[in-house]
Amino acid sequence: MANIDKQHVIESNKLSGEQYFTSILQGAYANGLLCDSDMENIQLQCIQLLANICERYSGGESSSIRVEAAENIMKSNLYTIGLYLKSLPDVDFAVNEIKKASVSEMYQKGRKLINVRLHSAKHIYNLVRKNKLFTPNYSYNSTINEGIGSFFKAYDPDYEAHETPASIDYQLCNPVTNMIGIEFILKYLENLFLENEFCRGFAPEDIHHMLYGYDKGYKDLLINIFEQVLTAALGCSLANRNVVELDISAEEIRHLHYELSEYDDCSLSLKLRKAAGKMLEELNADSLPLKRYIERSMPKIITNILHAVRMNTLNKTFISKALPDLKPRIRFLSGTKMHDEDYRKLIDELLMCRHSPDKLALIKEKVKSFGDLEDLLFDAQLSEEETDSVFDILEDVEIAALIRRHPFRTDIQAVDLSEGEMALRQYLKNYIDRLPKGKQEEIFEMADRLIDE
Amino acid sequence: MSFEIIGISSSLIEKQAITEIERCNEFTAEFGLALSPSDAAELVEARNIALKSNGRIEFGGGAIHKIIREFCDSPYISMHNYAETIHELTEMFYYYKNETLDLMSDDDLIKFMKNSFDGKCQGSLELLSGRELANMARNLRYGYPPDYSEDPMPDEEDEDGEY
Repeated sequence: MANIDKQHVIESNKLSGEQYFTSILQGAYANGLLCDSDMENIQLQCIQLLANICERYSGGESSSIRVEAAENIMKSNLYTIGLYLKSLPDVDFAVNEIKKASVSEMYQKGRKLINVRLHSAKHIYNLVRKNKLFTPNYSYNSTINEGIGSFFKAYDPDYEAHETPASIDYQLCNPVTNMIGIEFILKYLENLFLENEFCRGFAPEDIHHMLYGYDKGYKDLLINIFEQVLTAALGCSLANRNVVELDISAEEIRHLHYELSEYDDCSLSLKLRKAAGKMLEELNADSLPLKRYIERSMPKIITNILHAVRMNTLNKTFISKALPDLKPRIRFLSGTKMHDEDYRKLIDELLMCRHSPDKLALIKEKVKSFGDLEDLLFDAQLSEEETDSVFDILEDVEIAALIRRHPFRTDIQAVDLSEGEMALRQYLKNYIDRLPKGKQEEIFEMADRLIDE
Repeated sequence: MSFEIIGISSSLIEKQAITEIERCNEFTAEFGLALSPSDAAELVEARNIALKSNGRIEFGGGAIHKIIREFCDSPYISMHNYAETIHELTEMFYYYKNETLDLMSDDDLIKFMKNSFDGKCQGSLELLSGRELANMARNLRYGYPPDYSEDPMPDEEDEDGEY
């Protein structure tokens, strides 16, 4: 039997989650549930409430406050009332409450509710910190460690309840929308907790190798780990591989592509949902909230897979694990730069110098650090031949460091670079192209292994 | 339904403010000062304009009656300049509430204005606004005490009246 939903005069899905109180008032007024005098009365009560809270805000020491501050307090009051109304069973209840209760009463109840939510959020935050994944991803770590932590220090439920003073860079698979303030943080933490819970079913090194296969520099990317892990697990389930190990080879992905491209969209999404069920069984994931969360994430993942199958890019969606390069690294130190005054003198001398050999001799004599040499290549207005002769006096590792810092094999468009940078990259490219093949490879390999400090 | 608070000036709040100002006549009478109902209404109107132009909002009677109470015994205010002076002091008050970044309470600001008006400014509203209050606001913004001065020499005449 299908679900029978109660019909409401105001459609709850059309109400704004961020400005719930005002949108409910607008809906009630438009549908004749509140008349003009009701609205005026509510407005006056809101002003009275604002006056009381503004007095508290100024500590009774100032009879006037800045309009921006008052507007902010008004938003905070309306948000607090909205939070209380949202906690009622449905919109009809909320409208009745608006008619019966005073604005001040509703505010007090909302304010108490904020305290309860704040307490819950702190509790879930502690749980999230406990089930945090071991990953080098920067946005994930900084959001959990500092970003959300700062919220609890800066959140002001009395005067800025609607604000979300947190620095959240890590994006969830199911983003929290239509919510602000404490509601947003609570929902974000709940979702993050579920994502962590799912990912903890896998070994951290398996996740690391899978994400390393996705991108070697994944630690700096704004990716959602849960989405990648879920997709990879789904791929393993489809390929009848061990889901927990997240191990699917390139050959298996190619095979999957041939298999899946036979299906139409509808039967493919059905197959993916079945694979998800099988995957959950294999992972022994029996938590209901987690199952619901995965269910909510499935449309996005199915769309990604469908798109990849149609575009023949399944190998970018299902990722084969890659082991990080364990070759020894070369640590490169640039050395201490010379004093600004001395550097300016050297540049002036170089600019006045007419003959290339003299310039080279001057550089050899005065420049003692790689940092100065790099600056000089921009500032001394050297010609390509002169730059080449400077490159000639450098060691291979220094050329490799230059390549690392001024890569000419990148996707960055020329328009994004300065004229000097473009010229240097071009000279460097021409110089490398002229080197013997073996030497070129040696330098590129060195550049890959370089840790520039 | 609008909750824009910049437009809030209900007649009820205004009436309340006018009554409060008129009530001040009870204690200003001993100094020979009184405001007519029309003066009081003009003063409230001036307050509204000052609040609006300074981007501030005030609930209830506000600061005018505090200004009147503090300034009524000033030797530089008499019946012929009373309304006009209170009018200017009100404008000045709201302007410097912003300039002092709300770091000073109403009472302290009014007291500072009174002391400067009766003291260094000798009844000059121009000096009060352009010099004393401006210096005080700058001091507060830079974290100095309100009466801090970088000039070591007091700018007052010596005992013989010579510079």
